[in-house]
Amino acid sequence: MARRTRRAPSIRTSILYPSIIIVVVSLVVVTVMSYVNYIDTTEQIVQDSSKEINKQIILNFENYIQSVIDTADYIQEKTIEYGLRNQTNQLDDVYLQASEVQTDIESIVLLNMSGDPIIQSNSSALAATDLTQKNWFQDASQDRAIYHFSSPHQQDIFAASSVSVITVTKLVDYYIAGVKHNGVLVVDINISNIITLTETTNLGDGGHIVILNDDDSLIYTNNDYCDDGSCESIELAKDLFGGESVEINDTMMYANVNTLYATRWRMATFINIEILRQSANRNMVLLALFTVSTIIVTIGVSSVVSRRISSPISKLSNHMQKIEQGDFYQEIEIDGQMEVIMLAHSFNSMIVEMRDLLDRIVEEQRAKRRTEFVALQNQINPHFLYNTLDSIVYLSENKLNDKVIQMVIALSRFFRISISRGQNIIRLSEELEHARNYLLIQQIRYNERFDFQFDIAPGVEDFNVVKLSLQPLIENAIYHGINTEYGSGQITIRAYQKHKKLILEVEDNGYGLEEDKIQELYRRIKEETTGKSVGMRNVYQRLCLYYGQEVGFDIISELDESTIIRLTIPLEGEK
Amino acid sequence: MKRMLVFGLLLTLFVALTACKQNNNSVPLILYNEQDPYILGFKEYIMEHAENRISIVSYDSQNSQVLQNELIDDILLDNPQLIIVNPVDRLGAYTIIDQAKEKDIPIIFINREPLPEDMNRYDKVYYIGAPAETGALIQVDMVVELFGNPFGMSNLDRNNDNTIQLLVLKGEQGHQDAEIRTEVVLEELEALGYDLDILSIEICDWQKQIAHDKMMEFLTQDPDASQLELVISNNDYMAIGAIDAMIELGVFHDVNDDGVMDPTIDDWIPVLGIDAIEEAIAYVRDGYLYGTVLNDSETMSIYLVDLVEALLNGVDLATLDFVLEDGKYIWVDYKKYEETE
Repeated sequence: MARRTRRAPSIRTSILYPSIIIVVVSLVVVTVMSYVNYIDTTEQIVQDSSKEINKQIILNFENYIQSVIDTADYIQEKTIEYGLRNQTNQLDDVYLQASEVQTDIESIVLLNMSGDPIIQSNSSALAATDLTQKNWFQDASQDRAIYHFSSPHQQDIFAASSVSVITVTKLVDYYIAGVKHNGVLVVDINISNIITLTETTNLGDGGHIVILNDDDSLIYTNNDYCDDGSCESIELAKDLFGGESVEINDTMMYANVNTLYATRWRMATFINIEILRQSANRNMVLLALFTVSTIIVTIGVSSVVSRRISSPISKLSNHMQKIEQGDFYQEIEIDGQMEVIMLAHSFNSMIVEMRDLLDRIVEEQRAKRRTEFVALQNQINPHFLYNTLDSIVYLSENKLNDKVIQMVIALSRFFRISISRGQNIIRLSEELEHARNYLLIQQIRYNERFDFQFDIAPGVEDFNVVKLSLQPLIENAIYHGINTEYGSGQITIRAYQKHKKLILEVEDNGYGLEEDKIQELYRRIKEETTGKSVGMRNVYQRLCLYYGQEVGFDIISELDESTIIRLTIPLEGEK
Repeated sequence: MKRMLVFGLLLTLFVALTACKQNNNSVPLILYNEQDPYILGFKEYIMEHAENRISIVSYDSQNSQVLQNELIDDILLDNPQLIIVNPVDRLGAYTIIDQAKEKDIPIIFINREPLPEDMNRYDKVYYIGAPAETGALIQVDMVVELFGNPFGMSNLDRNNDNTIQLLVLKGEQGHQDAEIRTEVVLEELEALGYDLDILSIEICDWQKQIAHDKMMEFLTQDPDASQLELVISNNDYMAIGAIDAMIELGVFHDVNDDGVMDPTIDDWIPVLGIDAIEEAIAYVRDGYLYGTVLNDSETMSIYLVDLVEALLNGVDLATLDFVLEDGKYIWVDYKKYEETE
């Protein structure tokens, strides 16, 4: 039970934590999802556009290559056509025209299988070396069906040339006088066009192109870092096919590798997509800011809301605690939600009800006490009256008229005070007078075998006391305290003020009481049941009924010396 | 309860996000261009024979190698059990082979043959096709059938000079088939001892209209046009174009007007085609086209489906009905088109 109470969360936490958890979780999920989605989408867009750019570049190159092939096809067609018509001598002009139409074609030469020129687009002298040993010549003779594209190199078919060219070769037929011969068509194209093609393409900062041959050797690149034929992009291009995001020199690139139609080449384009990363980072920062600020706002708002809900309720609960402590005179004034206000209203009316109820109970208790009080007072009278009357009869029979007179006067005063117009509270002076009369009567009854004295502090006589507080104690002292046999009994009545209390004492010099006897007495006077020591209990209970718990009832005894019964009651009444 | 709800929500999201592509067992067939009627016919044969045996999904590269590369790139991501490729550019096929090799996926090329050096890059690469030269060799057979003994020719040697005055209709310049068909037919005839007088080799890009126009030009402008004794075409379309031109110019003349060319009565010149397309079959039936060669794509598709099935099921390829030359090549020879078919 105790553990559960300790764990039971407050209204505030029950509102605050779940709402924060829900908001944080859903926000984080949404943020992560939208970020991932954003990255995916942008990456897809970048990929698509990179692929488009790559395609466009490939297309440009293919168009260019196709134009070279078209020229070479045209040359072949004309070579056969003119050959079959025995017009081979006119072919030099056809070759020349073709090379002039397409300006990047440096030269077109038809070699026979011994490497000797058959037809030439220009009249430059051929290189003296054995042309059949050139790579481009040997490539051509390997597979007759295709065009062979060489790597860029210094033009080597002529004796004197310093142009950088790509040599395109193919094994072809030609006819001389109706006889078919095999030959190698050699078309040298200036590399400048390829450079122009790569330079006009916008691949972003650091973007570049790598063209590789089928044996992974470098054909061309416009990447300055790759001059020595080995660099990151070349290595990447070797192993890659299709598209992929790569990082080169700390820059995000989208690499795309494709084959170039009609050649054995592969072209890799590296397109700068750093902007993707940057925008992703920017987006992430924005999203993070948004998320954090939303969480902060949520925490703020929900704590305000939860406080607004919980504070009236905790105010209510504080009031409840006060009421638990017995304070029924607090009205609750609470602002807040309708329900809480209604609760407070109900609570207030409940308190009013309770207060009324309680007042009524107190009133009833008080009435009941008053009834009991009167009943207790009435218990005193009969014994004493009979005894006194018996004494008067005895005195009269012995003709002790003086004593009879004294006694009757004392008895008459005694009863006047006892009755005292029905009042239960009388002045201390009256109570002392009453005690004196009682003592006088008893002194005569006991043939003056005890003496008594009053020791009253000045100024206390005007305080009020409960009527008949002293008489039962004196009676007790006479009957039980002193030895009436020897006439040495002494009873002292004291009244004084101490610590804002009124102290009344009845002392006798009798046998005294042992400690266990005293405890027995204490126990008895606090019991409800009637029995022995009726006088003392009667006094004590009446005082308690009237004054409540502020009453002191002490028995102080010294064996064979004295016994003091001390009453401590509140100061009451005007001085 | 709330926590359960949140957890459930997250779980649903996670499942939804990671739901992966389902893997299918179909075999991708990547064609170079479905606009090509021959390829379309080939595809139909393949689908027909594959039915109820293997599932084949075809892709169209739209005659673009870049597009084909992209297609293959995507297809290989799904790790198919094997792929069938009809390359756009046979020179670029080596990149496809390298990719398949890297993933250990068998690859079958059809219709366009990669370079031999590329075929040797990987042991699980196959090619099913017709040896280009056999089409030409069947044309050579038909020439022999027409002209007979090279040293004592039939009456089709109209000028009796024991030399065949011929014209070649060549497909696209630089096209492998055009080059080989032209090369082989001429070399083989010469090797058999025929004296050839090639009046012209007209490059007509496989097209009927170009062949028609070039034939008109030749017949009307070439001084030797009247000597023409034979037309050899790299395909049927060009042959038909040439025949149409000759009909227009009266070289072909249906003397008895019976709608059929009868060599014994009517004026005509033998024309040889290749491919046995529908239009050409009608021309053969009516005697305008002497003969054509069947590119047996039906047999090829039967072999292809058999091969695919064997590869998928791990069957020993030696047990198949056909021979795998070098363990890679399945050759389906051209056949002479016979009217009974």
